[in-house]
Amino acid sequence: MIPAQNPAAAAAPVLRAAPRRRLRNPALRRFCRHRLAVFGACAVTLLTLLCIAAPPLLPYSDTFIDIRARFTPPGGSSAHLLGTDQLGRDMLSRLLMAGRISLAVGFSAMLISMVIGVCVGLVAGYYRGVLGTVLMRFVDAMLCFPSIFLLLAVSAFIEPSVSSIILLIACTSWMEVARIVEGQIRALRERDFTLAAHAIGAGDARIMFRELLPNAVAPIVVAATLNVAHAILAESYISFLGYGIQPPTPSWGNMLDNAQTYLESAPWLAILPGAMIALAVTSFNFIGDGLRDALDPRMEGR
Amino acid sequence: MTDATGPKLRPSMPRLGRRDMLALGGAALAAWGGAASSAARAQGAKPAKPAGQVVIGLSQEPTVFNPLMPSIEVDQGIALNVFNPLWLADPEANLMPQLAVEVPSVENGGISEGGLLWKVKLREGVVWHDGAPFTAEDVKFTLELINTSGFRARTRQGHSLVRDIQVLGPHEISWRMEKAFSPYLSLLAETFIVPKHILSKAEDPNTAPFNNAPVGTGPFRWGERRPGEHLTLVANERYFGEGPYLERAVFKYIPDLTALYTQLRTGQIDATVGVGILANFYEEARKNPTLHVVTVPSNSLEVIMPNLGMPALADKAVRQALYTSINKQAILDTIYYGLPKPTESITPQQYWAYNPDLPKQEYDLAKASKLLDDAGWRRAGRGVRQKDGVRLEFTVSTTSGNALREQVQQLMQQDWLQIGASMKINNMPAAVIWGDFYTRSKFETLLVGTNFVTGNDPDMSTRFNSGAIPVKGGAGGNYMQYQNAKVDELMLAAQTSFDRAERKRLYSEVQVILRDELPVLPIFQYAPVEGIKKGINGFRPNINYKSNTWNMHTWSWAA
Amino acid sequence: MSTYLLRRLFQALVLLLIVSAVGFSILHLAPGGPLSQFAAGGEMTQADLDRIARDMGLDRPLPVQYAEWLWHMAQGDWGRSYRDQQPVLHIIVAHLGATLELMLTSTLIAMALGSWIGILGAMRRYSLFDSLATIGAMIAVSIPTFWFGLVVIWLFSVTLGWLPAGNRYTVGDGSWLNQLHHLIAPSMVLALVSTAVWSRYMRSSMLDVINQDYIRTARSKGIPERRILFRHTVRNALLPMITIAGLQLPTLLSGALVTETIFTWPGMGRLFLDSINYRDYPVVMGILMFTAVLVLLGSLVADLLYGLADPRIRLA
Repeated sequence: MIPAQNPAAAAAPVLRAAPRRRLRNPALRRFCRHRLAVFGACAVTLLTLLCIAAPPLLPYSDTFIDIRARFTPPGGSSAHLLGTDQLGRDMLSRLLMAGRISLAVGFSAMLISMVIGVCVGLVAGYYRGVLGTVLMRFVDAMLCFPSIFLLLAVSAFIEPSVSSIILLIACTSWMEVARIVEGQIRALRERDFTLAAHAIGAGDARIMFRELLPNAVAPIVVAATLNVAHAILAESYISFLGYGIQPPTPSWGNMLDNAQTYLESAPWLAILPGAMIALAVTSFNFIGDGLRDALDPRMEGR
Repeated sequence: MTDATGPKLRPSMPRLGRRDMLALGGAALAAWGGAASSAARAQGAKPAKPAGQVVIGLSQEPTVFNPLMPSIEVDQGIALNVFNPLWLADPEANLMPQLAVEVPSVENGGISEGGLLWKVKLREGVVWHDGAPFTAEDVKFTLELINTSGFRARTRQGHSLVRDIQVLGPHEISWRMEKAFSPYLSLLAETFIVPKHILSKAEDPNTAPFNNAPVGTGPFRWGERRPGEHLTLVANERYFGEGPYLERAVFKYIPDLTALYTQLRTGQIDATVGVGILANFYEEARKNPTLHVVTVPSNSLEVIMPNLGMPALADKAVRQALYTSINKQAILDTIYYGLPKPTESITPQQYWAYNPDLPKQEYDLAKASKLLDDAGWRRAGRGVRQKDGVRLEFTVSTTSGNALREQVQQLMQQDWLQIGASMKINNMPAAVIWGDFYTRSKFETLLVGTNFVTGNDPDMSTRFNSGAIPVKGGAGGNYMQYQNAKVDELMLAAQTSFDRAERKRLYSEVQVILRDELPVLPIFQYAPVEGIKKGINGFRPNINYKSNTWNMHTWSWAA
Repeated sequence: MSTYLLRRLFQALVLLLIVSAVGFSILHLAPGGPLSQFAAGGEMTQADLDRIARDMGLDRPLPVQYAEWLWHMAQGDWGRSYRDQQPVLHIIVAHLGATLELMLTSTLIAMALGSWIGILGAMRRYSLFDSLATIGAMIAVSIPTFWFGLVVIWLFSVTLGWLPAGNRYTVGDGSWLNQLHHLIAPSMVLALVSTAVWSRYMRSSMLDVINQDYIRTARSKGIPERRILFRHTVRNALLPMITIAGLQLPTLLSGALVTETIFTWPGMGRLFLDSINYRDYPVVMGILMFTAVLVLLGSLVADLLYGLADPRIRLA
């Protein structure tokens, strides 16, 4: 259902411009050659800045209800640039406030899922043996569940709030990261520098976090970016399934959910938040793609 | 309206009362009038042999076909066509004999000894769909099965009072009641009689093959069922009553309401009953030349249900202030497109016990603030009122995925904040809302559509009696934990009386008290919109049943 | 080989046990129960609800209920639905056809279209087509499936009136043409993501192969370019795709769930959602186990096939 992670594993950069000026950092240089990634980065930055800075400057707050002005189409009124929703609230203002929530959900869920995934992967990959097997079999079992089941089942336990939605998404999206990290660590563990670290008597924790982890950072960073995309998408699915963030707080997901009913009479209610989700998620996917290229020179040209 | 389980499912069922039928005749729905006044007009044009099929769209899937087991309204819609009760309530709540020859009453001697002895004469010559004759033994078996321990009977309300069932002859039966209970007449109008010769042989009636291939006495026989898709009923040509005129009826399951409407519009289904057409499609649907579109009232009310176990909400003044600051007009006219009508009573307006003289709610924020001031609620931090250390804040929950309800909540939230009441929205999926959250009174307040009646009887004891609070060991559905000795007394008196005028007086008084004390805040009575293709005659909504397929045996296609 | 199979099967059994335990606990501990739906209407009293819960055995401790379920399962008894009292396996099989029809069609679309886009993209790397395909794939995986489904309905059914808005066929018209007509929109929606994923994997796999020595050798031997493409490159590039197909299964199942909901498609996905909403525990558990077996089988078969197809891989 939430497929953001899959294609990225194979997705490869295509668009590239001739390097204009030489950048010192080869990774940064490679990233900047990746036009789509640069586009994604710009879009995300712009979107974030707008969502943070713009709402206070707008004439209407996102929760101000003016029922007489409901369903004003975009451009239908000079006061409401993007029209109004089913309660007469300003769409632009709501979209931007919703962006704050959705982006925050995306980033926070990513952070938490990365922490869980990296820890599990690190421990499983480093210790292997019984502990590693048990951990990875658990990961396998979790991956056996259709993600919708996990979302549905776990969300039934929690009071729907922004923080619990974040936890929910994090709890259902760390498994892929764990797998990636475990694979990396397993390989790195046999390398000379690890053996050397062992030889000079470094502790397990030190080896894991100081020696192994930094060497596995490239795939982790890529996975993290893609996880943000995944989380934003997941938030919209949770709203679709009825466990979303509670009104009146807007998020792109719950705006979309409420709009289904009016798909015909007021299509902008569905199109605008849908487009925002698509824009944000696509941008993060582009960035992830560019990063993969930039951080892993061997992947270049694939 | 999303009350039943499932994201987009609604239990509140549309029915049409007499008043609305009249209104309909006068309305611009000229063509509709033809079908509505069916009984008279359609008589002449009825086919001699069952012909044609009707495809009915349902937003919930019928899955329970043993009519005595726990079921939802779409299941009743099937049962009404496959089975018969002893008598049936028509849209005006008159009981019409079905498997009985006449409805027992004190006047005709069917009910005697102060309501304790019931005697029923049964129709002769009725056969089950498999050809076996219907007799008093079937009725006895049905009543006994309901009370058999281990059988998952839907409800034993009323039935548990039945004692000493005697078969007086092949078509006559009598029983005694442990105590007089007048709503039992109504309860029997939705108790379907099942065949003894089949079910008595089943090892476990809960899982009998019969439950998936029911055999009844009704106008339609069981056809086939494709789980998740549709089920088909076929005409029972040996039906003892009028009709059926249709050869086949197909009930199609379409869980999404927008899809349901789209399919009605594109002609993939011929009718939608029950959930019907979403309010926002009403105007457009009405302009469709191939459709009859009707708003049908239901006995479900949209209410705010406070949990009186919460200190803030236990204060009557708070409830009155909250009620006064609900902008009913904006809710009804704007969000619900003017379809439902506001109500002050918990009794449906079409019921004979309805009290029309209750004080009318007026939206007045100043008055609401004054009510709270007078009751000692003072504004404290962030404008939220407080009294004796209790802050005036609470959550309102409803089933998620209902766009209209969420709008209502947000409108209330804005108004309530102005009088110093802080409300938060906490919506959850239906399965969660209606679980322990509801039945163990764990909610703070609910925005729900539910009814406060006993079948088609206005008795509201199971919802307001102080002995009906589950969380205090009671057995009813008084989830708001309302207690009032006077109300208990009035309802008990009404339950044991068989005199309608007397009962009406008692229930009217209950309604006055409930309007003042507001154990639930009534917002409106549902008026869902149903649509049916022009050319189908006989459709006649009935508030007393959960599905307007109740009289499908009289439906026919115009020639 | 047989020890490998045995080990895999044993691992699969352990996995199924974990899946069932986790699934069972989550399901039963989640608030709400199978009787919730009846509490809503207000007609059934609490006494009725409690009595029925007792009869259904829902008041017993969770481990007891799980042990009972497991014991029955071990004997091949999947239990009966709480809703229509039918055997669970019977219900699943009744819904399986519709889901398979949808999943197979969309997988075929995705494979054909995705492979084509992938191959073409790899052959003409950095061309306009390749760039557009990349962007398109990225966007395809970035839009919520349910939103895309709604837009499709709005465009093709509501506005243009070309395609039916849902259902598997028109009641009373069982012709294959009618079924095909109904299949177009949902399979299109479900195929969107798979096509994107498939095309990216295919492209990447193609590039892998193109740079292999044996292709260069073939080219230097003067074998015609067309022949190289189809006899050597595509064939070898398709190899790793077998695994992808197996691993795509859970994603496809989830996607089917959403698609079936939007298009009122009477398959397993919708059955699953309905069963969760009604807390029909036996059916939910049944579907869960069924899909878990399917997923495990998918990855096992993928591994085996891969081993057979590529002699360099040794399964040990």
